[in-house]
Amino acid sequence: MRRRRWPLLTVLAFGYAFLYVPILLLILYSFNESRLVTVWTGFSTKWYVELFRNKQLLDAAWLSVRIAAVNATLAVVLGTLAANALVRHGTFRGRTGFELLLTAPLVMPDVIIGLSLLLLFVAMQQTIGWPDGRGFTTITIAHVTFSMAYVAVVVRARLSQMDRSLEEAAMDLGARPLRVYLAITLPLIAPALLSGWLLAFTLSLDDLVIASFVAGPGSTTLPMVIYSSVRMGVSPQINALATIIVAVVTLAVVIAGISMRRGRGA
Amino acid sequence: MPAPPPNQSRQAHRTSRLVNIGIPYLWLGLFFLLPFVIVLQISVAEPALAQPPYTALWQWIDEGLLRIEINLRNFMLVGQDDLYLSALLNSLQVAFICTLLCLLLGYPMAYAIATAPERWRIILLMLIVLPFWTSFLIRVYAWIGILKSNGLLNDLLIWSGLIDTPLAILHTNTAIYIGVVYSYLPFMILPLYANLTRLDLSLLEAAADLGCRPMRAFLRVTLPLSMAGIVAGSMLVFIPVVGEFVIPDLLGGPGSLMIGKLLWTEFFSNKDWPLASALAILLLALLVVPFVMMQRLQQRMEGSRP
Amino acid sequence: MATLAERRSLEPWQDPKAVPYLRIDRITKKFGDVYAVDDVSLEIFQGEFFSLLGSSGCGKSTLLRMLAGLEYPSSGRIYIDGVDVTDVPAYSRPVNMMFQSYALFPHMSVEQNIEFGLKQDRMSRRERGERVGEMLELLKITELRKRRPDQLSGGQRQRVALARSLAKHPKLLLLDEPLGALDKRLRENTQFELVNLQERLGITFVTVTHDQEEAMTMSTRIAVMDAGQIMQVDTPTAIYEFPTCRLVAEFIGSINLFEGKVVATEGDEVVVETRVGRPMRMRSFHPMVLGTPVTVAVRPEKMRLCADFREDGVNQLKGRVEDIAYLGDVSIYRIRVGDGALVEMTLTNVQPRTEQALTWEQEVAIEWSPTSGVVLTE
Repeated sequence: MRRRRWPLLTVLAFGYAFLYVPILLLILYSFNESRLVTVWTGFSTKWYVELFRNKQLLDAAWLSVRIAAVNATLAVVLGTLAANALVRHGTFRGRTGFELLLTAPLVMPDVIIGLSLLLLFVAMQQTIGWPDGRGFTTITIAHVTFSMAYVAVVVRARLSQMDRSLEEAAMDLGARPLRVYLAITLPLIAPALLSGWLLAFTLSLDDLVIASFVAGPGSTTLPMVIYSSVRMGVSPQINALATIIVAVVTLAVVIAGISMRRGRGA
Repeated sequence: MPAPPPNQSRQAHRTSRLVNIGIPYLWLGLFFLLPFVIVLQISVAEPALAQPPYTALWQWIDEGLLRIEINLRNFMLVGQDDLYLSALLNSLQVAFICTLLCLLLGYPMAYAIATAPERWRIILLMLIVLPFWTSFLIRVYAWIGILKSNGLLNDLLIWSGLIDTPLAILHTNTAIYIGVVYSYLPFMILPLYANLTRLDLSLLEAAADLGCRPMRAFLRVTLPLSMAGIVAGSMLVFIPVVGEFVIPDLLGGPGSLMIGKLLWTEFFSNKDWPLASALAILLLALLVVPFVMMQRLQQRMEGSRP
Repeated sequence: MATLAERRSLEPWQDPKAVPYLRIDRITKKFGDVYAVDDVSLEIFQGEFFSLLGSSGCGKSTLLRMLAGLEYPSSGRIYIDGVDVTDVPAYSRPVNMMFQSYALFPHMSVEQNIEFGLKQDRMSRRERGERVGEMLELLKITELRKRRPDQLSGGQRQRVALARSLAKHPKLLLLDEPLGALDKRLRENTQFELVNLQERLGITFVTVTHDQEEAMTMSTRIAVMDAGQIMQVDTPTAIYEFPTCRLVAEFIGSINLFEGKVVATEGDEVVVETRVGRPMRMRSFHPMVLGTPVTVAVRPEKMRLCADFREDGVNQLKGRVEDIAYLGDVSIYRIRVGDGALVEMTLTNVQPRTEQALTWEQEVAIEWSPTSGVVLTE
């Protein structure tokens, strides 16, 4: 089998090229002086300067980051509770329904989630007067609803791998259940909580469709600004933004990788 | 799992149950399940020039008369108008082809990663997931610059002498296929990888050693064993792609209308909330079967886990 | 010779007036339809080193977990020091446990692991520090105090786990396969250490093990379990020399079993007719009814070579050596007797010789005394 690996490796190489060439092109052309993507006229950082002068875009980015952070925190809390329920409470009445509700948001098309939540918010406003108008709160609620499902998947995997006797030992040494959870369980699943948080953060920062439905006037998120700008045609400012995002993500991954390696080695 | 303990710790157990199950259940019930009921309700309402733009389902006429109006015209319209029907069919076709393409590209990649030396695996896998962390919208946008008629791909092809006139790729189904495969590939590779690493691939090498030709060993052993991963990955691609909006909107054209894009237009441009709701209900009904299939499979895999 | 009073303090179970420290009263634990522990009653006294011995799945671990409060019995009561603790949760019981996997908290240092239980008791910082120091010293692991569990060897982990479970000065310590994860060499040394520690601290130990040698070496008494039930509770000597049933006889060491039935009784001796040789004459502690189906059980080392074989000799058998296993200190001989049964005999290799006392195919006669075996009725 070893001898026959080259076709497999060719596909692998093609796959990675397919994934990365578009991103590399984006980065390359963010330094292009010309507005046209296809023509290289010279190195320039003027699109970055323009990007940082774009007040509308910066405001939207700040809103998106705030929503993403609140969303990620809430999603980690709710997703972890849901994972506890699935791993720790065995078979309870309504478990199938619970799992169904927790899996559906992973695949449900965005347009359905967006539309249905908007209609809910409108109906709620009519009947109980809350939420009064749409914006930060409604977008956050919508994002938590689907990102908690992702967090639950991540935390559940970690939780079911954990050695139960650690918790039993803590209980045997006199710790009450809540104390066991805080002192033993949480620190041990912390890596999963962190990756769940980052995942939820990214999902929120990335969402155009759902936010478009449940946003009100005056609450424009970053993807909405990007979307309207992209619909106008190719814009090198977006390339510059993409480059910054890629740089931040890569940096985060490298730092995470190094700290993980160090954590293991120490 | 320790039995529910008596007395004081039974109380703690009950509280933990209530918190862990109750709170997420309540949230999902309120913000995920209830909305569908409202969508269903509005899908049988009539559009109106009002705020919100639909009629109420029921009305109190005085003297205790309750009038309930169920308007099925939205559904009839969808059934009769070619626009909706073809969009629906096109969505299914696009989702099917994209799933197949993802599988064709994703399976060998997942296999290659799963059989790579241990220290390479985590890096290779990381490289699959990494693009997912950058903006989805921007990654789709990247393809506009590549695929348009004076874009990079056409420039490259003309420069190499393969073609004389630019190919029209942007605003066709082909562009959608490329965009979808590009965005959804990780969702295919990850479950496949998880499945393949759980298989003992050395068994396969043993089979080859015993004279079973590699291709045959693959078809007879690996492929059937990795069916669970194939189905899981396919569903993770198929279901959301049927309702995809951003990719058909940015890369597709008038000839490649998809249901998600149509719903968006009805809602935002035509302000026809009831019709958009009816489309959502139809889309949902369409996805129930594959979704239940996926759920079943997931439960079965959990059951068989050691 | 110890006086009766001394004996009673060493063997409190012999004293009808002694009050057990731990009393298990008709405990049953069902998982679904399966009885993991089936109507078990036990009395364990202050200062004992008590072992629950049995093969895996016999219910010994479940019983231990019920003592710790990690499982709750389906029926029956558990009393510790006279107090009914059946419904007391694990965190409120005056009992600590050492887990088979050690269950050391991976995110805490050795010191923090040992301190964990003390913190739950809201002990002052100074007291905690003193107690941790005392435990580290007791188990000779002071230099490991800052390490994390993944930086420790198997033997070191075992010590830390022991220190952690002893830190709260429990009156009763439960140990689940305490030496199970150690290699053979280390296990033997640790056995003695564990016993010394237990005697020094005066704590009651209840351990679970599947290793009969381990149970024999360390325990004051052993309870042999099978299929959720207790087969026999006794001192290691009694369990070995006077098993009360076939299962216990076979579980511990090797033993020759001859099935037959009682044909005569003379004083405290019974005559048992078996398919092998002439009727056997054995001492019996219980009166027996003629015709009772019984099994005569004789350990291989109780067999000896017979110098003057007589046709009417008592407990004498003729046979041919079929297998020899040389173990250094002793050799095991398997001898084919009468109608095809194999009898095992162990002889000490007194003389260093290249040749064995016996050789293959040699015709031999063997015998044993009526007092060196038991008659089993079940």
